Amino acid sequence: MKCKAVHSKLIFFLERELPEPEMKAVREHLAACPECALFAEEMRKTLSILETEKVSEVNPYFYTRVKAKLDRQSEIQPSGIRSLVLVRVLQPVAFSIILILGVYGGVKMGATGAKTGSAFTAEQEMVPYLNEMDVEPLETFLME
Amino acid sequence: MSDQEIIEQLKQGSETAFRKLVESHQRLVVNTCFGLVHNREDAEDIAQDVFIEVYRSIQQFRADSKLSTWLYRIAVNRSLNHIRDNKKHKWFQSFEKDVEARNRQILQVESSPADHPGYEMENKQRAVILQEAINSLPENQKVAFTLNKYEELSYQEISEVMEMSVSSVESLLFRAKKNLQKKLYKCYKKKCM
Repeated sequence: MKCKAVHSKLIFFLERELPEPEMKAVREHLAACPECALFAEEMRKTLSILETEKVSEVNPYFYTRVKAKLDRQSEIQPSGIRSLVLVRVLQPVAFSIILILGVYGGVKMGATGAKTGSAFTAEQEMVPYLNEMDVEPLETFLME
Repeated sequence: MSDQEIIEQLKQGSETAFRKLVESHQRLVVNTCFGLVHNREDAEDIAQDVFIEVYRSIQQFRADSKLSTWLYRIAVNRSLNHIRDNKKHKWFQSFEKDVEARNRQILQVESSPADHPGYEMENKQRAVILQEAINSLPENQKVAFTLNKYEELSYQEISEVMEMSVSSVESLLFRAKKNLQKKLYKCYKKKCM
C-alpha cells in the first residue's frame, strides 16, 4: 500500500471502520513508513481530543439561569412588541409620508414655475434694466 | 418521571415538570450545542434558549418523535443560527489563518504554571485545530459528525434528528471524515499541528 492510499484511509483505520484485510495492510505500512506513522500518531492524538472535550459536569445554576431568562423575557415582551411596532411599522410609515410630501411639493413647485415661467424669459427680464441705462446716460449719472 | 409525563405536565404549565426537563436533558442539549459552537459559555446560552423555546412551544409538540429528538433538533438549529451570525465577519478568513490566529491567542493567554504546561498547551492547540477543521465542514456533515461523536448517536438516531434516510447519514459521515482527514493532513503539512 502506498503512502497516499494510507492517508486517505487513516481516519477510518483509527476508528477501526476498515475491513480486516485493509486494516492489516495499513498497519503493515505504518510499521514500515516512519513519515506516515508520525502523521497517524498526530491524527490519533488530535481525534482523541473529542473524548476529552465532551461536557461531563453539569452546571448547578443552569436551571436558575433558564428560569431567570424566561421570566425576564416574559416581563420585557410587551415593551419589546411596542419597540418592534415602532421600528418595523411606524418608522417606515413616517419616512414614506415625508417622501410622498417631498415628491408632491416638488411636483407642485415645478408646476407653478412652469405656469409663470412661460410669461417671462431671462432675456425679457434684462430689457427693463437696459432701458433704464438708456433713460439715464452715463454722463448724467456722473454729473450727479 | 418519564418523558411522556413531563410533556403532559408541562402542557398544563407545571414548573416542576419544566425543572425536571431541564435537569434531565441539560447535558444532552449543552453537549450538542458545544459540539457545534465549541465555546462553553455560548453553548450554555444557546441551551438556555433551547429550553425556553421548548417551554413556549410545548403545546405544539406532538408525540410523533421522541422528546430527545425534538430537543436535538432545536439545539442544532439554534447552534447553526448562532454560527451563521458569527460567521458574517469571517467570510474571507481561510482555515489555516483561523488556526494560526487561534494558536497565537492560546500562546498569549497561556501562562499558568500547570504540572505539564507543554502537554496542556499542545492539547489546547490540538483542540483548536480540530475545532477549526470541524467548523470548516459543510453544515450537514458537521451536524452529523457532532451528533455521532459528541452525543454518540447511532446512524438511525441521527437520521431521525436530521430527518433523512440512514444511508444519507452514512454518506454524510463518510464525507465528513474524509474532509476532516484532508484538512488535518493539509494542516500537518503546513506545520500548524
